Amino acid sequence: MTEVDFTVEVCGMAGDGTIAVGGLINEAMSLGAFSVLGFDSYPAEIRGFGRCVTNSRIGSSEIVALGEQAHALISLNDEQSRSRVPFLAEDCMVFFDSAPPTKVTEDKSLLSVLPPGAQIFGIPFGNLAVSAAGSARGRNLTALGGFAAVCGISPDLFREVIGKKFGSKGDHIVSVNLKSFDAGYEYSKSVFANRLGNIFSDVESNAASPRVMLSGNQAIGMAAIDAGLKLYFGYPITPATPIMEYLAKYLPKQGGRVVQMEDEISSIAAVLGGFYAGARAMTATSGPGFALMTELITHGVMAEIPAVIIDAQRGGPSTGLPTKTEQSDLHAAVFGGPGDSARIVIAPTNVSECYYFVLKSFQLAEKYQTPVIILTDFFLDNRVENVVAPKASEEQKACSNVFPEESSKDNYQRYHYSSSGISPRAIPGMEGFNFTATGLEHTEKGIPDYSPETHSRMTEKRHQKLFSALVDLKEPEEFLSGDSLDVGVIGWGSTFGSIVEAVQRLRKSGFSVGALKISSIFPLHSEIIRKFMAKSTVVLIPELNYEGQLANLIGHLDSKPVERLNLVTGTPMPTSVIQERIYQLMEVLAQ
Amino acid sequence: MKTPARVLVEQVRNIRESGRFAARSNALPTWCPGCGYFGIHQGLSDCIAELGLSLHDVVTVSGIGCAGRYAFFSSTYGLHMVHGRTLPTATGIKLANPRLTVFAIGGDGDGLAIGAAHFPHIARRNINVNYLLFDNSIYGLTKGQPSPTSPVGSKTKASPYGTLDSPLNATLMALTYGASFVARLFAGDPKGITKALIEGIKNPGFSIFHIYTSCVTFDKTFKTWTNLKKWVHPLPKGYDPTDMRKAFDEVLSDDFSMGIIYNRGEQL
Repeated sequence: MTEVDFTVEVCGMAGDGTIAVGGLINEAMSLGAFSVLGFDSYPAEIRGFGRCVTNSRIGSSEIVALGEQAHALISLNDEQSRSRVPFLAEDCMVFFDSAPPTKVTEDKSLLSVLPPGAQIFGIPFGNLAVSAAGSARGRNLTALGGFAAVCGISPDLFREVIGKKFGSKGDHIVSVNLKSFDAGYEYSKSVFANRLGNIFSDVESNAASPRVMLSGNQAIGMAAIDAGLKLYFGYPITPATPIMEYLAKYLPKQGGRVVQMEDEISSIAAVLGGFYAGARAMTATSGPGFALMTELITHGVMAEIPAVIIDAQRGGPSTGLPTKTEQSDLHAAVFGGPGDSARIVIAPTNVSECYYFVLKSFQLAEKYQTPVIILTDFFLDNRVENVVAPKASEEQKACSNVFPEESSKDNYQRYHYSSSGISPRAIPGMEGFNFTATGLEHTEKGIPDYSPETHSRMTEKRHQKLFSALVDLKEPEEFLSGDSLDVGVIGWGSTFGSIVEAVQRLRKSGFSVGALKISSIFPLHSEIIRKFMAKSTVVLIPELNYEGQLANLIGHLDSKPVERLNLVTGTPMPTSVIQERIYQLMEVLAQ
Repeated sequence: MKTPARVLVEQVRNIRESGRFAARSNALPTWCPGCGYFGIHQGLSDCIAELGLSLHDVVTVSGIGCAGRYAFFSSTYGLHMVHGRTLPTATGIKLANPRLTVFAIGGDGDGLAIGAAHFPHIARRNINVNYLLFDNSIYGLTKGQPSPTSPVGSKTKASPYGTLDSPLNATLMALTYGASFVARLFAGDPKGITKALIEGIKNPGFSIFHIYTSCVTFDKTFKTWTNLKKWVHPLPKGYDPTDMRKAFDEVLSDDFSMGIIYNRGEQL
């Protein structure tokens, strides 16, 4: 297969079928055994006649970041597509409606603002759809057909995914859509006969491909189901709501329940109640809801009750930017709440990790008897990747609660002091192990006690437990590294893909750069991070927040100051911005 | 010869052997002498003993405040929560293991101020939780501030010129929210509490026990024992608790009639 790294955007007004076309491209190219990363943006206002844009990056090697420059633009509405012009490659292919439903005036025209190198393909989307299928509604599929022919993608790939997508709506709908697609395909093939490319010429359907198209939120839902989740409690909030909706559909089928609570406070309270009584329970929220949960999260820390909490970050503070991405809840996740309330915080960097981290979080919560927070963000929650179908082994699903020995019956100490900090945890219903869990400081028996000795000892025990957890937490992972580095880049969460790609590109040009991925935000594997920082002449930490929250957390580990790259644009971190910053740092080093 | 001391020793032994005290923990309650909560403690402990519930199959969830300490004085499984969140926590416990009998316990501040948002929702979900609301119309553990059930004009250190806010009526709220079992009780009548609890536990949905009680330390004027004893009285003879409309009439016309106000009569 020839090397492919191709980005295609579809842009239209709400109602044009933009998102549907983007989804079909993702599915078809995934079927063609490519790596796909897609991200849609659409207006936050439900009824607002807004712009919809899908971005699909398609590669023959693993795609880890969003495409910044589109090689093809399918315009379903020229006025809206004008906004995409700055994001087009110089020789971008542009597919537009040469006979649009309403006449496009000069000031709204796309063609008048396209770069000179653009390759223009005018196709009468609507007219073709009407003559092929009797309705202009299929004009988005005509556009798709036109795009497929010019790029040299086998129409069978699209025919297959169109069949799958519309199959549930009946044969008639499938056939109408196929007719529209074919009309566009044939039109391009004959009208642009001498301009047809072969970018994807090697592509053919790979039905045996074990890859599935998943969003971060779907992966989280799947992981919770596979982990044997019994109870989900939540309150609607963007961008976490799709997790609740996914579980509402699938959890009852395996005997679990989804309860939409009255707020985020009651959601986390019910999760603690559920785990206390021996069931796996979970909640998902975003920054504003997470803030409401913090008091109860520290109750889980103090009373040593497990909990699994997803914080799908969005722009903040306060209500902030509900449909924009940001990584600004790190401080809140690690430090939020009263007292010395250390808890486990982990952050996946891609869709596959969303699955495996959530799966693992249940075992971490049970074994270490503490809330576990999983930090995702809008970009990670909503982007789709065609990942190797995730699967949980029996070992990964198993309950990891440490139950008390039968011998401790009738003389059970719930908070028994141990070197690991872990005390065996009894569950209501177990005879002879009755205890009271409390958010007050307490003795090993669980009796409230505020003496200096008890508070010192128990605080230490709770922190000891977290240090013990380091063995079960994923260590920081080095990418493309070496014995010494001019610039070492450290990253976390959805930004890490862009970091890897930037570092990859620079290494190809011969630069001595490397990347370190931190997935366990708290507790930290300090020694590994320290070593990486020590061998890097300059340490750079790019994050989607203003304060440099990870930099604040780990900056002290090495004596030299950390370079920060902070963006609060509400959009994913562009690879080029990181690349540019590394260049600048290298220039300073060279002086 | 039976000296008074020997009589007492024998009484204690008999009580111990009868299992009547089994539901009480060894911890000495921290409530003030004369506190109404002792009567409620007796009523609930006796109910558990009379029904013969296995103590390891019972969970007591309590909030913050004097009533919040209840979980420590019970030998069931206990969960002492943060302020105001007993009801959603109890929801999680009951859904996790429906075999458990769950008691949620909190005061009028815990349940009607900070935690008031949860009250209608557990009622409309009709979760099988038994909620004992200890209503003494004062914040005791923080030393005497007005509560959501304090009468207008209550003078406390936090309201030296008297309160302006109207009191809430938890029984009326419960009826309005559609609770399937509503009882109004008096801490000075532990037997009445036991009786109502035994009925309420049979209700397979949400049951609320709104219990009038007295704070002997910080309330010298309103819900004193003298006043409460003067005010409370049983429901009218022949009262039918299955009639919701009558229940509303009763609660709207009389704040002090005690007993089972409403029972939807649900069966498992």
